[in-house]
Amino acid sequence: MTRKIRVVHYLNQFFGQIGGEDKAGMRPMDKAGHVGPGMAFASALGDQAEIVGTVICGDTYFGENMETATAEVVDLIVKYEPDLVIAGPAFNAGRYGTACGAVCAAVAEKLQIPVVTGMYRENPGVDMFRKRIHIVETEGSAAGMRRAVPKMAKLALKLAKGEPTDSAADGYLTRGIRKNYFAEERGSARAVEMLVRKLGEQEFATEYPMPQFDRVDPNPAIRDMSKAKIALVTSGGIVPKGNPDHIESSSASKYGKYDLEGVDALTAESHQTAHGGYDPVYANESPDRVLPVDVMRDLEREGSIGELYRYYYATVGNGTSVANAKKYAAAIAKELVEAEVQGVILTST
Amino acid sequence: MDLENQARVKELAEKYGAENVVVVIGGAEAEASGLTAETVTAGDPTYAGPLAGVQLGLSVWHIVEDDIKAEIDPAVYEDQVSMMEMVLDVDAIKEEVSTIREQYSKY
Repeated sequence: MTRKIRVVHYLNQFFGQIGGEDKAGMRPMDKAGHVGPGMAFASALGDQAEIVGTVICGDTYFGENMETATAEVVDLIVKYEPDLVIAGPAFNAGRYGTACGAVCAAVAEKLQIPVVTGMYRENPGVDMFRKRIHIVETEGSAAGMRRAVPKMAKLALKLAKGEPTDSAADGYLTRGIRKNYFAEERGSARAVEMLVRKLGEQEFATEYPMPQFDRVDPNPAIRDMSKAKIALVTSGGIVPKGNPDHIESSSASKYGKYDLEGVDALTAESHQTAHGGYDPVYANESPDRVLPVDVMRDLEREGSIGELYRYYYATVGNGTSVANAKKYAAAIAKELVEAEVQGVILTST
Repeated sequence: MDLENQARVKELAEKYGAENVVVVIGGAEAEASGLTAETVTAGDPTYAGPLAGVQLGLSVWHIVEDDIKAEIDPAVYEDQVSMMEMVLDVDAIKEEVSTIREQYSKY
């Protein structure tokens, strides 16, 4: 009998069953065998592979110490002498996705073994790491675990056995690698065929997808800041105490517009954060840390800016889709232009 | 379903016996209610909590299901639930939760 493929699994504190956001600062640790979603992987991998160890690290710790955390995690992984590393899936969790990507990329580079992770298409980890590692496309939330695990396990086994893979058939995000092959028909015939389908409004698949660049031209500089009306807009979830519009802590479905008339600084009594993706203690203690009304008032008094616009806009960026964020931004920008605001300071978390 | 609630459900099922526990869900939409129902019957589908891989098979219902509604004093139901009943997609919730129950409940 051939030896079983040795797998190490990387998880964050939540899926590692250590705890929620309050445990996100934890340093990397390892456990023998599988933990949490590892159970699902163990059954999906079957008897060809075995999860020999699990490495768990808090999302905040990883995000704040990316280089050292990556090295620490890789050191723990090496101990288990793996043939394959699986990370996540991270779905649409940004910090977790980035950590999964960084761990996989480091393992692939240092240990030269196959790695697989899973993420939602809009996870920031995708654009950072898709060229270097295999990322299986998953749904946006953990509700998609049941469908993500078999896809990831199947791809992982193929890679471990050195079998050829294909992004469409194996469900991973394209890595931008071109492969040469002999086609039945020459290029001109394929192009005409494609054009005929396009003209007939039928479906066709391009052979050369163009990257989509989201480039935004910067506005011309503001000539005289001492006369400019400046607005504050945040995705950090700062809302009046009690969150009157019920902006969701994740995947916000709306934004709010709030009055700053007569407000010199935000306090724990007047405002709070509605954001569910970071430790809210410091933002709730002094909401100015995320939405700097106090500093803007100082600048206003000393004449560095003309005035702070009377209203600020807030939403929660946590897990909010790019499409929705664009929609809110367009609506907010329209109002700001109508209000003759010349400059906007955007703050996140 | 969050980790604490999973731990509570697991503890109660161990303490009183799974056959003596009924879970009534108040979730506001079908998918989330279905996931909760699945968690307390077939195990946590996200594999994040204490019920990952634990098939409790509990009897699970949603508060808007007719059998549960019949058990409750109409005046109390009117006062506490009827408002939400008007705005929720009750049929989708019923369908989702009952499907999970028929598939995985052992009691």
